[in-house]
Amino acid sequence: MNSQLIDTSIYADISRFIRDESLRILLEGEVIAVVGYAAGRRKGSVQPIIACDTESAGRLMFSQASVNNLAVYLTKAKKEIPKSGKIGIVLKGCDLKALVGLIGESQLKREDLYLIGVPCSGVLASTVHPATELATETIAPKCLECDAHLPTGCDFVPDVALPPQQKSDLKYAVEIARLEALTPAERWAYWKEQFSKCIKCYACRQVCPFCFCEQCLCDRNKPQMVETTPRPAGNTAWHIVRAMHLAGRCAGCAECERVCPMDIPLNLLNRKMAKELKELFDYEPGFEVNDKGPLASFTDKDDQSFIK
Amino acid sequence: MKPSSVKYDFEPKIIAFVCTWCTYAGADLAGTSRMQYPSNVRVLKFPCTGRIDPVFILKAFQQGADGVLVSGCHPGDCHYIAGNFHARRRFAAFRKLLEFIGVDLNRLQFSWVSAAEGGKWVEVVTDLTERVREMGPMVEFKELALEEQWSGAINTPELKETYNAI
Repeated sequence: MNSQLIDTSIYADISRFIRDESLRILLEGEVIAVVGYAAGRRKGSVQPIIACDTESAGRLMFSQASVNNLAVYLTKAKKEIPKSGKIGIVLKGCDLKALVGLIGESQLKREDLYLIGVPCSGVLASTVHPATELATETIAPKCLECDAHLPTGCDFVPDVALPPQQKSDLKYAVEIARLEALTPAERWAYWKEQFSKCIKCYACRQVCPFCFCEQCLCDRNKPQMVETTPRPAGNTAWHIVRAMHLAGRCAGCAECERVCPMDIPLNLLNRKMAKELKELFDYEPGFEVNDKGPLASFTDKDDQSFIK
Repeated sequence: MKPSSVKYDFEPKIIAFVCTWCTYAGADLAGTSRMQYPSNVRVLKFPCTGRIDPVFILKAFQQGADGVLVSGCHPGDCHYIAGNFHARRRFAAFRKLLEFIGVDLNRLQFSWVSAAEGGKWVEVVTDLTERVREMGPMVEFKELALEEQWSGAINTPELKETYNAI
């Protein structure tokens, strides 16, 4: 398939809007800090910053290398954010879904946040070469399947017209369908190979907004439910537990997959669970705050055809 | 003829996670009623099906179970009002995950067995045992546990080449 460039001309305008709005809310004292993106040291690279003054707020920007899901910095597991006062945060649509999930799980309060939504045409799959232009070859697969290019319910969204989205191959949907068509033994062989690559660095856990437990079940050793060594048994158990604990919560930001140093298709498991939960319980992560996720609630008419 | 008098080449290990209020009492009833059922099943008692974490099932398979049964009260009969409703959703999702990973779902059985259903308990346990017996031992997780492949394994041609060049 030929690679087509994706229009990112709006990102310059968005950067300007983000800077102006952040300066305004900081100067007016509405927030004490803005979590956003700033240019990194390499050409084209972007790093997350917490802007507490006008100087650092002037560095805020947005580009196709703004891959990070910043919602993770607001969770209990991360201690960088000031404890008192309202926090501003720059969010793409997928990040907003994660943040909304965190609000639903009582991890954050909406009134403590000032949300700056970004109309997003997509970001890069990898930031190894951050100066790469955004094209159908280099865009993150999640962006091709994204239904949340324009965040809603934010306090501020830059007033720019989002260019029409290009249609392309849906990598996750195609891959899930391919795996589902295999026999159980073939699927097991596929995942065995994938999981055997895992080095248990837990980057997927660190980067996930929903992995905010102060003590992870997989770190406990009394009783030890999941072997912690990077051996096949422990790796498989870790990835199954991870997928299960994120079922019905994962917002599909695919950060786990991006940070994985061994290129394990982690988000595939999360996407598969999202697909199943949509079919089973008609639940999809979105911009509406739900107090109870699909696995924290029930109806008396749930499917029980698999139970004798 | 007593079922125990038949000799098989393979006796599957079945782990049953049951709730104390319904299925455990049901199994008890089967016992006190002198009903025969396969001794392959090892019963683990939990307060409620809602207490049964999917990770237990994983652990059971890793530790050598060939089949797993999860059983509790019928919907609406839960001692804790809603535990089995939560469990029903959780296991509906979990079996889809296991299926996607490549585990044969025939090794995993869920059932509702009330305290009065000793006969149903016998039926469920016998069915599962016979089914798993025909499928043979569950080797996937056991093989994983025996594998000593640490992440440092030099298992690709590129890695081997680089290693030899050092």
